[in-house]
Amino acid sequence: MFAYVIRRLFIGAILLLVMSLVTFVLFFASPVDPGRYACGKNCSPAQIKQTNKALGYDKPVIEQWTDFLRGVVVGREYPDDPELRAAAPQLVTECPAPCLGYSVVNTSTVNAEIKEAFPISLSLALAALLMWVSGGVLFGVIAAVRKGTIIDRGIVALSLVFYAFPAFFIGIFLLKFVAIKWELVPPPTYTPIAEGGIGLWLQGLLLPGLTLALLYMAGYVRMTRAFVLESMTEDYIRTARAKGLKSRRVLVKHSMRAALTPLVTLVGLDFAGLMGGAIITETVFNYNGLGKLAVEANQTYDLPTIIGLVLLLGTFVIIANIIVDVLYAVIDPRVRVG
Amino acid sequence: MFKYRKRVFAATAAVALAAGLAACGGSSDGSSNPGNSEPTSDAKGGDLLYYLYTPIEHLDPQRVYVGRDITNLSRTVYRTLVSFPISNDPDTANTPVADLATDTGTSTEGGKVWSFTVKDGVKWEDGQPVTCEDFKYGASRAFATDVITGGPNYILSYLDIPTDKSTGLPAYTGPYTNKGSQYFDKAVTCDGNTITYHFNKPWPDFPLAIAGLHMMDPYRKDKDQGDKSNYQIFSNGPYKLDGTWNKNKGGTLVRNDNYDASTDSPELRKALPDSIEFQIGLTPENQYDRLVADTDPNAITGTSVPPAYYSQIEGPVADRSVLVDSPYVYYLVPNFRSAVMKDPAVRKALAVATNSDAYNVALGGDKAGAPAESIVSPAVVGYKANDAFSGSNSGDPDAAKQILEDAGVSMPVPVKFTYPTSDTADKWAAALKETWDKAGFDVTLDGLGDTYYTVIQKPDKDSDVMWGGWGADWPSAITVTAPLFDSRPNLTAASDGQDYGAYDSDEFNKLVDEAQNASDLDAQTAALQQADEQLGQDYAYIPLSITKFYMVYGSKVTNYTTTPSSNGYPDLGAIGVES
Amino acid sequence: MSSFLSVRDLKVHFPTVDGIVKATDGLSFDLERGETLGIVGESGSGKSVSSSAILGLHRKTSAVVSGEILLEGTDLLKISDEDMRRRRGKEVAMIFQDPLSAMHPYYTVGNQIGEAYRVHHDVSKKAARARAVEMLDRVGIPQPDRRVDDYPHQFSGGMRQRAMIAMGLINNPSLLIADEPTTALDVTVQAQILDLLQDLQREFESAVIIITHDLGVVAEMADDVLVMYAGRCVEYGTTKEILTHPEMPYTWGLLSSVPDVLGDTSAQLVPIPGNPPSLLSPPPGCMFHPRCAHRDKVPGDLCRTVLPDLVPGTRTEGHLKRCHLTDPDAVYEREVLPEIAPDLVEER
Repeated sequence: MFAYVIRRLFIGAILLLVMSLVTFVLFFASPVDPGRYACGKNCSPAQIKQTNKALGYDKPVIEQWTDFLRGVVVGREYPDDPELRAAAPQLVTECPAPCLGYSVVNTSTVNAEIKEAFPISLSLALAALLMWVSGGVLFGVIAAVRKGTIIDRGIVALSLVFYAFPAFFIGIFLLKFVAIKWELVPPPTYTPIAEGGIGLWLQGLLLPGLTLALLYMAGYVRMTRAFVLESMTEDYIRTARAKGLKSRRVLVKHSMRAALTPLVTLVGLDFAGLMGGAIITETVFNYNGLGKLAVEANQTYDLPTIIGLVLLLGTFVIIANIIVDVLYAVIDPRVRVG
Repeated sequence: MFKYRKRVFAATAAVALAAGLAACGGSSDGSSNPGNSEPTSDAKGGDLLYYLYTPIEHLDPQRVYVGRDITNLSRTVYRTLVSFPISNDPDTANTPVADLATDTGTSTEGGKVWSFTVKDGVKWEDGQPVTCEDFKYGASRAFATDVITGGPNYILSYLDIPTDKSTGLPAYTGPYTNKGSQYFDKAVTCDGNTITYHFNKPWPDFPLAIAGLHMMDPYRKDKDQGDKSNYQIFSNGPYKLDGTWNKNKGGTLVRNDNYDASTDSPELRKALPDSIEFQIGLTPENQYDRLVADTDPNAITGTSVPPAYYSQIEGPVADRSVLVDSPYVYYLVPNFRSAVMKDPAVRKALAVATNSDAYNVALGGDKAGAPAESIVSPAVVGYKANDAFSGSNSGDPDAAKQILEDAGVSMPVPVKFTYPTSDTADKWAAALKETWDKAGFDVTLDGLGDTYYTVIQKPDKDSDVMWGGWGADWPSAITVTAPLFDSRPNLTAASDGQDYGAYDSDEFNKLVDEAQNASDLDAQTAALQQADEQLGQDYAYIPLSITKFYMVYGSKVTNYTTTPSSNGYPDLGAIGVES
Repeated sequence: MSSFLSVRDLKVHFPTVDGIVKATDGLSFDLERGETLGIVGESGSGKSVSSSAILGLHRKTSAVVSGEILLEGTDLLKISDEDMRRRRGKEVAMIFQDPLSAMHPYYTVGNQIGEAYRVHHDVSKKAARARAVEMLDRVGIPQPDRRVDDYPHQFSGGMRQRAMIAMGLINNPSLLIADEPTTALDVTVQAQILDLLQDLQREFESAVIIITHDLGVVAEMADDVLVMYAGRCVEYGTTKEILTHPEMPYTWGLLSSVPDVLGDTSAQLVPIPGNPPSLLSPPPGCMFHPRCAHRDKVPGDLCRTVLPDLVPGTRTEGHLKRCHLTDPDAVYEREVLPEIAPDLVEER
């Protein structure tokens, strides 16, 4: 198992390397000149060139990429121009390894940006995960057990309705009515645990977490229902019933254990995806997480930030995949061999 | 969004608040003093809250270039040599008064040399005096073009410093690498507390430029860390930054103990609130949900009401709203390289058939924009409606068709209209197409995404008509028509610069030269008026819309005003809040 | 005095959108303690459905079960769900076919066997585990104290079947139903398992119902045989009688697919042509007639139009058959036997 994880990590690292190169190449393949946008009005071609130099986009793509890789391994100093660094040491920003780059647009190292945004996305993803997994499994199991009844139909119909709603609709509804108009909860703002304690942190996460949870829950209700119903037809469920087990025990110990295994994969990958930022929800609720960072980086042609986020999200997905595989082995003894 | 923000938002022109143009939106018993709110009170105290949606790009005086940010900084932390006073009268608002300088400056050598004396007793937030050397250092920073990016770059071409032929940039490289400092030391000189700027051509509107932009602001050398200082505020005004600025969250301005109000004027800064918090990140919808519900009664915003919220601005909420002209004008340019648009009759017919009323309806109606009759905003000194575009704004397809017939043009005339696509843009593009098609054109709509400006700047584009937006950097048409239509700085082999239509007229360029070489403002204004007439005769552009600012403020906000000198945004020099 | 187990007119019907599926339609038989009944038929003939009904495994939402299942005089179809649950696994136990799918892949064999014990006995997990080890030892699993912690996939097929039997017998049930207990196993293991079942039956004095499609298994194990076709009993009698004098062409067909049961090594394997009928729309008349080679021997169109009753056979008492043939024994001797077991014919 250990060797397996090491091998997977190695493959993941190569994948990230390729992803970073592809991002670099795609960025510069775009006809858009980032220097032109950062330069402002009335810029001569010479000034645009200087702006590109300030942004770090003046060197050949491959050189920029290798500089980036060197930064990841040994760290870097900004600005990139050694002459400028020597003449004006007060300008220098140290970016120690693993340096993901320096965003001139944001006046910050990418590491610092991610460090600020990451806990927000993590909190949001955790809050949402908790709500959607518990809700999704609960309602999915209820629907499966009460299959064909009005309760089942109600749950399935409701989950379809939420499934069809766009994210911003639920988010805006919760924010506009629940928080602002009816004042049932204060308008959510993110408060780190270190600043406001668990209470304020949770209060801030309630509505944005619920927004995401409702979106994801719909799918999980339907999948849980389907998986539980499917497992109910398995031979080992009949065996369990033939032993004289109570139906609750058959459901919880035998049916759900098997039914929820495929959910682990989905939870892992959905969670990794959410860690990369819930763009719409973060924008609606003004949560400065990774998703909002990504949107802004994209709008401002901020390559260092884009690269950093691409690699971060890639890392999440790769690690989530490995964790899911390891978890699978823990859950399903048949996978353990080899 | 971002793409044209630079163009449209990076402007400081004032907005005329002639009674006919501005009125309190939707309110039947609206104030008789348009743009002003009740109650008015000059009581100090309270905490003002300012909603912003997207992060501010630059707080560095030499880099800030967005109209809203320029006025907010002017009224609170960055004083300039001369400033525009708080006033709803355009003439007053467009006339700079002394601020950090003792007077409004003296010019010699036909406007090529300008001198100002720094007041005694003006101090930085750490108590040190603001000196001539600080001004000189500030001016030097714009020359570090690979560090201080994104700001106004006028002084690069105006200051009397030779150009390095190998780079196409000034021979002086700014204070960090400091090459060619001998040139800069000659171009900007300090004699005691008097600073003198030497230009290579007359700059009669120089006071307007430095009142409208922060590019000539003083800067403390010991505080300069280049790009790292982008979000640093080192104040010489009535407020200072409390702690640090968070790009994504904003920051709070509090009173600056080392500010001496006796060196300043209530004409410029009343400095009523005890603190001003800038809160970044609320979406426009979120802002207006809160403003309509009065969740934060001390809040103001620089964002206009989204059209979907127009119906909610009624009753008591309408009493807390203003509707004013913004400094921004939207326009169309024909491509002078296109086979069909080369024909003046075709350009004229297109202009005659253009329905700018329909354009404004698609934007959101009279709360969103009003028909423009020149590419120059009415707020600019010496504004005149352009004869070529005055009269009806709803387009006259029949007259346009007649023009085409008389000129013997074979119809339908194929026209490719290129514009930056969005839901709203697709609507107005379709609205424009309707009357154009009726007039005998066959319009193809070409909505582009991110690549819009890249495409229309290319000399070999196949567009026939393109869309643009612009605002003046200071209230002079020299910051509008010259940068947009002077072929000499714009047209190169690789790019059409900002002259998207590749308009190239010796007559027009001569008038720009005349304006640039004028030794006084009146002569300059006259030349610029003539230049705009020339553009109208050539149908070098078709004006579409002056955008409106339609904004709501909280119930505890007092003295609410948006003035020409605050670029149509809430004027922090005047606004107070009930504590 | 009634029998230990007495099933009367058992019907298991599944209502579906397309109509009612009559999986079991009017099944009756008796069984005494210590005796073994073999229920034989092709897959889909209703064997497993009937036995599941005896355990009360059908869900009320999907199946309609009617008739009488009297176990020591108590009608299992009339008692409460909870009462039935308490008996399930304790008084009536079942051993399923294909133990790889019938055992939960995520739990150890010991856990699953122990669970069957704990549900009916208030003992600790440790005690249940000890009991599981004991049972694994009893069914012949080597090193049971170690193998008890293995997962089902770590067992061989035969060992899994033994474990399944251990699970079924852990509560000393008075009635054991074994559903195809040897189907998935190779011949030598098959014999071992059958021997084991017989030993255990003697030891526990249980009544056993063995469900199979293999008359060979029946020949070895059963005292009585019940042949099922399309949800109905088509022939019923002692094993000896049925194997020597079968009177229903379907039973002949079953015999011809396992001819060595008759003791003839040269026997020909002749499969029954065609497929079992749809239970949703069974053919009119005798349900076997579409596949029956002898239907023309019956005058009129009787086989195609009239369902024969279950009537006493021509030779012995207690032999029941469902067929219109008037001289089945003669037909069998004359036409069927020579074809499937020529040597046997010579001997006779």
